[in-house]
Amino acid sequence: MALTITCPVCGKRDGYEFRYGGEDKGPRPDEEGMTPENWCDYVHMNNCVAGIQKEWWYHRDGCGVWFSTHRDTRTNLEISDSEAK
Amino acid sequence: MMNRLKNLPTLRVNTSEKVSVNYKGKRYEGFKGDTVATLLYANQVRIFGRSLKYHRPRGLYSLDGECSNTCMQIDDIPNERSENILAREGMNVKEQNVKGSAERDMMGFIDKLDWAMPAGFYYHTMHKPAKMWPLAMKQIRKAAGLGTLDHNFSRHERFDEIFPKTEVCVIGGGPAGLCAAHEASKNGLRVVLLESRPWLGGFYEYRTSVDEEGDFLYSKARALAEKVENDPNIRVFKHTSMVGAYNNNLITAFQKGGKSDPFQERYIEIRAESVVVATGCIERPLIFENNERPGVMQVGCAHRLCRTYGILPGKTAVFSIGDDLGLEAALDLFDLGLKVSCIADLREDGQDPDLLEKIRKRKIPYFTGRVAMEALGRKRVTGVRIGTIDGTVDETYSCDLVVASAGLTPVTGPITINQGELSFDEHTGFFLPSKLPEKTHVAGRINGFANPSSIEASGRLAGLKAAFDLGVDLSEEIFDAQEALADLPGPQRGSKFVTGPVSGRKSYICFDEDTTIKNINQAIKKGFDVPELIKRYTSAGTGPGQGGIPGHNLPLYTAKFKAEENVKIRPTNQRPPLVPVFLSTYAGTNHDMAKRTPMHDRQKKDGGIFRRLGVWRRARYFSNDFSCRKEIENVRNNVGILDGSTLGKFRIHGPDALKALQRVYISNMEKVKQGRVKYTAMCNDDGCVIDDGVVTKLAENDYFFTTSTGRAGSTVEWIRYHTRFDGWDFNLVNLTDALGVINLSGPNSRKVIEKVVDQDISHEALPFSGVKEYTVSDVIKVTVMRLGFVGELSYELHVPSSYMESVWDLLLDAGKEFNIRNFGVEAQNVLRMEKGHVILGQESEQRTNLTDINMGFLWYRKKKEAKTVGNVALEQTVNDTGRLKLVGIKMKDPSRAPGDGCVIVDDSRVRGYVCTVRKSFSVEGVIGMALVEQPLAKNGTALSVYEDECQGELSEAQVVPMPFYDPEGKRMKA
Repeated sequence: MALTITCPVCGKRDGYEFRYGGEDKGPRPDEEGMTPENWCDYVHMNNCVAGIQKEWWYHRDGCGVWFSTHRDTRTNLEISDSEAK
Repeated sequence: MMNRLKNLPTLRVNTSEKVSVNYKGKRYEGFKGDTVATLLYANQVRIFGRSLKYHRPRGLYSLDGECSNTCMQIDDIPNERSENILAREGMNVKEQNVKGSAERDMMGFIDKLDWAMPAGFYYHTMHKPAKMWPLAMKQIRKAAGLGTLDHNFSRHERFDEIFPKTEVCVIGGGPAGLCAAHEASKNGLRVVLLESRPWLGGFYEYRTSVDEEGDFLYSKARALAEKVENDPNIRVFKHTSMVGAYNNNLITAFQKGGKSDPFQERYIEIRAESVVVATGCIERPLIFENNERPGVMQVGCAHRLCRTYGILPGKTAVFSIGDDLGLEAALDLFDLGLKVSCIADLREDGQDPDLLEKIRKRKIPYFTGRVAMEALGRKRVTGVRIGTIDGTVDETYSCDLVVASAGLTPVTGPITINQGELSFDEHTGFFLPSKLPEKTHVAGRINGFANPSSIEASGRLAGLKAAFDLGVDLSEEIFDAQEALADLPGPQRGSKFVTGPVSGRKSYICFDEDTTIKNINQAIKKGFDVPELIKRYTSAGTGPGQGGIPGHNLPLYTAKFKAEENVKIRPTNQRPPLVPVFLSTYAGTNHDMAKRTPMHDRQKKDGGIFRRLGVWRRARYFSNDFSCRKEIENVRNNVGILDGSTLGKFRIHGPDALKALQRVYISNMEKVKQGRVKYTAMCNDDGCVIDDGVVTKLAENDYFFTTSTGRAGSTVEWIRYHTRFDGWDFNLVNLTDALGVINLSGPNSRKVIEKVVDQDISHEALPFSGVKEYTVSDVIKVTVMRLGFVGELSYELHVPSSYMESVWDLLLDAGKEFNIRNFGVEAQNVLRMEKGHVILGQESEQRTNLTDINMGFLWYRKKKEAKTVGNVALEQTVNDTGRLKLVGIKMKDPSRAPGDGCVIVDDSRVRGYVCTVRKSFSVEGVIGMALVEQPLAKNGTALSVYEDECQGELSEAQVVPMPFYDPEGKRMKA
C-alpha cells in the first residue's frame, strides 16, 4: 500500500498502479535437455531474499511497460540502481 | 435540563438547540454539540457500563475515548466510544456487558472473586482435564466481553474513501500543528491537517489562562484556527483520527461525517512528502485503589466537561495531580462554582508561582508531596484517602469527584508505527523519539513543551523543516527559528511517579482489560520482565483504548518494581489502526463499475436479463424461461443474433510481431494467412490453457486476433511479459472497446447477411474459416469471419463500436422475413456445448492443460527456437496418466440436469467434476461435459454425480462420444 515505484517512462508513482512480475530470474532458458525439475525451478522457485532484490513490475494503470527495478524487501522501499550496486 | 453553564465563551455546544437520545426507555435531553457521553453525564448518568472481567462500574474518565469505560451500544452498533460520538436526535443508547443494568449488575459479585483470577489464569487453569476447557470457555465468554452484535444487523450508511496527495501532512490541530501548517503553507506548500476532535485548538481550545501578551488561550486558538481554515493551501480534516503511518510517508485516517456530509465515515489515505507530528499529549493516569471508580476522572476531562460542554462535573472535588494543568483546572473550576476540598500535588517543587498565589488567595487547601491512595464508595465516589508518598500521612476527604492525573504522556503512535524509535528522557519523564521516520518532524507538547510561546515556536520550526524537505531553501529561517526556540522555556520537567504505597489489588493499570498492578507484579514474578511480554501475559493494553491508559505507566511501573535506576525498558508497540475503525470504513464505497456493450440499451429494451460477467454486464437470457428453449431452437432452425462485443480484440504489428505470436500461441503461427482465420490457444508456463481465440493476418507483419472476454484486460500485459527479455519491435493495440461484435447464426444467416453487405458472401466467396472485409451502406467497414462456435452456419461481424447499432438495425431489418431474434449468453452456452466446443474457465480450471481438453491438435512441437510459453510443460506431461480429462457425458435421468460444478465420485473419493450439463433440445437427453480421471474417460464408463443436498442419492451418468450435435460439422461448414 505504501510502496511507490519509479516507472522508467512515467516517473515515481503510487504502487497501486503497478503489477508485480516476480523476481528477475533472467531470460527464458533453452528448451533442449530441460528436465521437469529444472523447469519447475525456473518457473516456480524463488530466492525470497531478505534484502535488495531485482524484480519485474508492469505499469498497468499507466504506460503499459514492463521494467525491472530494485527493492529492499525488508523495508518495502524502492532502491535506486546505483544504490543497489 | 440540569443547571448547565450557558454563558461560557469557550462552549462548543449550542445551548439554544436541544437534542435528545433514548436511554433505558427514557428520553435524555442535551444540547447540539454534546457527545453521547456528555449528554448522559449532564443528566446525572454516572455509570456507563461494566468492565470486561470483573463487572466493575465504570464512568467518564478521559473524554477522548482513551479507554473502554464509556463504550456503549449506539443504534445497534456495539463498542461505540460514546465520548467521541456526537449525539443526534433519536439515537438509541444502551449500556454493555451487564446482566440487569449498569447501575445494578447481577454479575457485579465477580469483582470480589478477583483472587481466583490471577494474571493469565486461563493459561494455567481449566485445561485439565482437556474436556473441561470447552465448558469453561463457554461460561467465560458469557460473563466477559464488551458489546454483542446482533447477527441480523446490517449497515446501510454510506462509506467513502479518498486518496489525497499532499506535500506536508500535519497530524494534530493544536497550536503547534496549526503553526506548522501555517508556516509550510506560507512557504508555498500544500498542506493536509488532521484533527481528531470536531474542532481545532488542542490544549488551547478550552483554557482561559493567558499567554505572555495577555491573550486568552482559547481566543488565540480560534484566531489560529480561522487563519488555517481560510488558507487555500491547507486542507483541514476535522473529526478525523489518524490511524496508520507507513513508509514513504503514507498516512491513513478516517473521518466521521457530519449531518451535511454524504458519508457516515470516510477513509482517507494521504500520500505526503513530509510529515509533522503534533499530536501533543494525553494524561498519564494516576494509579491508586479504585482509581477507575465512577467519579474519578482526568484533569482534562473535568476541565473540558465544564469549559467545552458547560457541565460542572461534581459538587465537591479533590484534586490529586502532578502537573500545572491540574492546578489551572482546579482554579478555573473553583471559580465556576466547584467546591475544592483539597489539592494534592505529587510534586515537591516546580509549580508555577502565579498559580500557587491564586490558590492561596482562594484559601484552597493545597499539599505538595501528597497523592490519592484510595477512592471510597461502592458504586460512585463518596470520598478519597489522600496521603504522603512515604505513607506517613493518611487523611480522608468526602467528595463526589476525584480529579486525578500523574502528569502527561506524549502521543507517539504516529512515530512508532512508522518504524520510529523511542527512548526514555529523564528530564520530561517521557518516551521521546530517538529516531524519527524519514522526513518526519515533531512539534509542540509532544516534546515536553508547556509554555505557549515555545509550543508555537516549535510548530513554526517544524513547518519550516517540512518545507525544507520539499526543497524550499530555508536554511537561514530554520537557523533563526531554532535560535528563537532556544531562547524560550524548554521542555517541562516531568516525573516517573506511578503509584503511592498501595496494595494494588484494586489499582487498575489497564481499564479495558481489568489489569491491576497486582496482576503486573504476578507476571513479573513469573519471569515476564519486559512490557511487551507482560502485555501478552496480562493483556494490559490490548483493549480498544490501544494502550492509551497503560502505555506509559506499564514500562514506568515495571522499572519501579524491578528497582531500576534508569528506565531503559521500551514501551509496548502500537499497531495500526491506532483507534478503532469500522471495517466498512476500510471497505469504502463499492462502486459497481461494469462495462456496457454498444447494444446494452437495445438489449435491455428487448427484454434481456443481464448478468455480471467479469468486467461486463451481458444479456444472459431473453425470457424468464432460463432453459432458453425458444432462443436455442431459433438458432438451430432459423437465425439468431447475439451481441458478442465483450470479446477481446487486438492488433499486433511490427517487424517482430510474428515472433511474439509464436512465443505466446501454441500453434505454428507461420501458417496464419490473409483471408483465413486460425483457431488457436495460449498456455501458461505449466502448459495449462489460459485463452483461446482466432488469429488472422491483415498484411505483412500485421495481425488481428481475438481473445476470450475474461482475458481481454491482461493480454497486452501477458504478451509483453513473455517477450520482456527479447527487445523485439512490435506494437500491440487493444481494440476491445473500439470494435463491437455481432454474431449471426443459424441456417438462414447467409440469407440475412447477403442483403446487407456490398459484395458476394456465398460459400465460395467466404468459406468456413474465411475472413473478409465488407462495406455496409457504402460507408461502414465490417470485417466478417465465418466461424462456428454454436455449430451452425455462422458469421462474426467486427463493426466499429459507433456503427454497431446501425449495422444491428440493418440486420434486424433484413432478418424480419425470417423472424430473426435475439439469443443470449446462456443459449449460446447450450448451443456450443452440444457441439462440444469448450469455454475456458468452464471446461477448464487452473490445472487443466491443452491436451486434457482434447485440444492437443493445436500444439505445434517443432518450434523450439520460439521458446513457446507452455511447450516445455506440455512435453513433460503429455504421457502423464494422472490428469483429469474432458469427456462428454449423458445423464441417465432425462428430466433434469445437475448443477455445474457437481463432483463425480466413487465409493470413497472424488474422481472429477461436471463442467456444463444441460437438457438438450437439439439432441435427446441431458448432456454435457465433465473433467474426470483418466481411467474413467473411456466411452461407456458409468459415473456417479454427487449434488449438494442429494442426501446420498447419487445421479447416474455415462461417458459418451462428443460432439453431440452434427458430428461431421456439415451444418457449420454449409
